[in-house]
Amino acid sequence: MSLENVDTQHDYQHLVNHIYQVDDFDFVGVALYATDQSTIKWYFVAGNQNEQFRKIVLRSGIGIAGLVVRTGKPFWKNSLQDYEYTDKMYTPIARVESLQNAAAVPIYLSAVKLVGGVLLAGYRSNHPVSNETTSRLSQYLDTF
Amino acid sequence: MLETLNWIERYFDEVTDAVFIFKEEQLLVSNQLAKSLQTELNIDPNYLAEVANTSVKQKLSPTDDCFKCSIRNLMKEISIPITLANDKLHPLEYFLIYHVIDADNHIFSLTLKSRGIIERMDQVAEQKQLNQYVNRAHEEERKKISADLHDSIAQGVYSAIMGVRRLQEESLDEASTKALAQIIERQLNDTLTEVKGMALDIRPSVLDNFGLLPALRVLAQRTEENSGVDVEVVGKAETDQLSTNVQSVLYRIAQESIHNALKHAQASEISLLLVAHDHFINLEIIDNGVGFDIPKHRQFNGRSLGLMNMNERVKALNGSFEISSEPGNGTTVTAKFPITHLKGAH
Repeated sequence: MSLENVDTQHDYQHLVNHIYQVDDFDFVGVALYATDQSTIKWYFVAGNQNEQFRKIVLRSGIGIAGLVVRTGKPFWKNSLQDYEYTDKMYTPIARVESLQNAAAVPIYLSAVKLVGGVLLAGYRSNHPVSNETTSRLSQYLDTF
Repeated sequence: MLETLNWIERYFDEVTDAVFIFKEEQLLVSNQLAKSLQTELNIDPNYLAEVANTSVKQKLSPTDDCFKCSIRNLMKEISIPITLANDKLHPLEYFLIYHVIDADNHIFSLTLKSRGIIERMDQVAEQKQLNQYVNRAHEEERKKISADLHDSIAQGVYSAIMGVRRLQEESLDEASTKALAQIIERQLNDTLTEVKGMALDIRPSVLDNFGLLPALRVLAQRTEENSGVDVEVVGKAETDQLSTNVQSVLYRIAQESIHNALKHAQASEISLLLVAHDHFINLEIIDNGVGFDIPKHRQFNGRSLGLMNMNERVKALNGSFEISSEPGNGTTVTAKFPITHLKGAH
């Protein structure tokens, strides 16, 4: 975990719960880097349909969250279920949570340009996502 | 011209099919092989002519639904399967081909083609096709490795180089330097993970150093991390005594089956079962995906070797390979190899 104390961990859980409650997303999750910077996994989720997400290790550059990690920029994509396992856009979290459309923004832990994690939210229905979705997510992070 | 006629005559005599040419049911001429067959097997050419005749009549009979069928009327040749030397120890199987040379003068030829040779030719053709598939698959694999090297490895190293250059050239304060160093470390770390993953995909060193079961566990772990799908490995086998070839093939079957289950079947649970018995070892890969209609996928699909390749590899090592699946009911892939007694299997 890249977080120093239990309080901040609790805060991320609080954040995903908050977004899940006030917004209309079906799933909200936060993935963070481990302390040794080697792996990035989903630690805090709301609206999950099973515990499969705990097994996923994000790969830089692969899938929505992976692209956000690599580029440090927000990203969104609709019709995620169309991608096959070997595609670059195959997003494991979308598969295990049956998300059709999802958006993700980077989490910067300090002022430096080092991505510390990803905040992702998505829909199981056909509700589309767009630039507006990512800016909404960024706002949640800013006010957090 | 005379020379050419000579050659044609020679060819007629030396060709490997027995050829008889008849005029109005009377044998006009036959080649060397036909003559030998005639004397050795005691074949009456008139018998052959009669067989052909009845067969032709049968095909043109008005009781046939297909009488006046335009396609059939266009067929110049009629082939009839026939077995000669029935009374001998090894009956000879042939195709008798009836060909009209000159309809007005009632001249026709009968050619005996050995069915054995035709079957052998079919096998050779199949083998050739398979070779092509294998070559194409090799090229595809190289293409993929090359693309991975270029897209993720080279790019990761390049970004790290750019970072180091910034460290050298820009005068940064201590905090920024530290942050930049961290970013570079992250990039190199990601690249390292990719390299390790590629090495594992190409040829897992675990398989060589620790054996099949640990290799399958690593494969399952990695699949879970990349896909989020549950992959369970149940093993009751000492694989030390197993030949490297069998271990490799079993590993590849597991890899290919998992890949198929994720890519095509949208499975959410995959189980690998490796069990050794006294004289055989059995690997089963079971998924809960959408399943598929097996006959439709038997043929080469132009992209991956898939099922056909797996089958060939197993057959080459005297194993058996089976896939059972139907739409909506998941897929089970089973591979079984005979083994000499396994130490410590029981």
